[in-house]
Amino acid sequence: MKKRLAVLLAMAMMASVFSGCGKKEEAPAEAPAVETEAPAEEEKTEVPAEEPAKEEAVVVNTVILKEADDKMLNTYSVLAVDPEAPFVDADGKAVEGVAVNTAGADALIQWLLSEEAKTLAAEYGKEEYNDTLFYVKEDAPAFEGEIAKATEETKTIRLSTTTSVNDSGLLGAILPVFEGEYGYTVEIQSAGTGKAIAAAKNGNADLILVHSKSQEEAFVAEGFARVLEGFESERLSFLYNYYVLCGPTEDPAGAASAATVMDAFKAIADGKHVFISRGDNSGTHTKEISLWPEELGITVEPESFADYTEWYTSANTGMGACLMMAEEMEGYILTDKATFLTFVANNGVM
Amino acid sequence: MQSALAKAVALILSADAELCNILSVTAKMSISSSLIALILGVPIGIWLGSSRFRGQSILLIINRTLMGMPPVVCGLIFYMLFSGVGPFGKWKWLFSVRIMILAQVVLILPIVVGNMETYVTGIAQTVKETAKGLGLSGWKTFFLLMNECVYQICSTYLLAFARSIAEVGAVSMVGGAIAWKTNVMTTAIMQYTNRGNFSLGIALGLILMTISLVVNILISVMQRRINR
Repeated sequence: MKKRLAVLLAMAMMASVFSGCGKKEEAPAEAPAVETEAPAEEEKTEVPAEEPAKEEAVVVNTVILKEADDKMLNTYSVLAVDPEAPFVDADGKAVEGVAVNTAGADALIQWLLSEEAKTLAAEYGKEEYNDTLFYVKEDAPAFEGEIAKATEETKTIRLSTTTSVNDSGLLGAILPVFEGEYGYTVEIQSAGTGKAIAAAKNGNADLILVHSKSQEEAFVAEGFARVLEGFESERLSFLYNYYVLCGPTEDPAGAASAATVMDAFKAIADGKHVFISRGDNSGTHTKEISLWPEELGITVEPESFADYTEWYTSANTGMGACLMMAEEMEGYILTDKATFLTFVANNGVM
Repeated sequence: MQSALAKAVALILSADAELCNILSVTAKMSISSSLIALILGVPIGIWLGSSRFRGQSILLIINRTLMGMPPVVCGLIFYMLFSGVGPFGKWKWLFSVRIMILAQVVLILPIVVGNMETYVTGIAQTVKETAKGLGLSGWKTFFLLMNECVYQICSTYLLAFARSIAEVGAVSMVGGAIAWKTNVMTTAIMQYTNRGNFSLGIALGLILMTISLVVNILISVMQRRINR
């Protein structure tokens, strides 16, 4: 008897999970989806009802201290991978015939540089966060021609990108428009810029969307990028926003009142205030390295900050996790503004 | 934590399309890889446990070392092998469920083999003597042994399944956590954590644990039936 009960219980649980899944799959196909959606709607309204009290209790203590400085410009570029690039395998031997979907990469880049995509990107987040997350560069290259539709061979586009454009929700918001219009499927791998570029060098991406000028230039110099027809440069910079220096509201280092960002960084270092570094060779990490006073000699190498470990924290993880750490440790942190705004918006529910 | 629990319930009830996709990829991956590892590993384990030959101890040591292989290393090896520049790059397997299963089989197989070997070593002597007394052939002895192990095979399967569904290092390397394609529960949890959305991560974790619970209940019930 007991055994039967256990079986029944297990089956009931399975059934509830699977029937729940089935409903949604049917829902878009059938027009009268009202019935199936209703219970979900109820549940959704119930949950937030509990939350306001919590949201008030947990206020994100990390705030933006320094922004919109010329030094804090964060430019995003898109680069197409050259199938003829000097690919090498793990032993450094040259490899030929690496498969790269050039037609797909062309289409996606052309679309990203079209008026439609630029408008979508510029509008992204305005409603949700009441702030501009990404600005379109005024001198950005533009594309006005016809974009090729997907064929069986070019359908899948492998985009290797940085966490900031993916985690801020930008790609999730704009790419479905491209996929729906032209029939492509974009497979997004997101990692820090360093890793994103490494994936392309290993022949695992058709194009990259990154934000570290020096690393992009090295990528071009090594011959991994190609120039699209009708464009002048391999590096097509089209979006930008600002890095922001964030820290606890109390601001013990007085970063907010520093004349420039460099001074703010110097004040943090002088006062030995906790600073969270991405430490993962990402675009943000590269930018942060460039902002420290030169005499400290901080670079990406762990030896370079071995003497500063009491305050310099090399987290070696994603932006969101680093922000969490800064919040916990009441430390300072450099982040792109888009991720910070999404972090604050998400963090209200912790 | 309370909000995470509410989120988990809301997430299941809302039957979010992406969640369903993540669940189905997770199920496909972990069931295939654990079953393949079981089918390959059980005969090898029984053979290793019941026979004596030269070099056996070396094989055992190698197997036990592989049982402790870090998933990330396994993932990295397969990433390099199946990269565009790697020797198998032309197959275009990277970032597919297929290679996730392959990497997991390599991870889980030694565990299945090691588990079966340990058990069979304990019972092999008696079973072999019985078989000899009955005059059974080599194959029949093998099946007799297998029959004696059914309970252990169920437990081993649970172990393999648990390892497979909870593993994140290898699948995030070779799968790339691509939404709608290779994103599984564990990589999705990692992703939400990286976005600073801890409560949604915990919500997904709770769902994962529930699935594990269901599978465990089912197999445990089966195991008791067999044992009667």
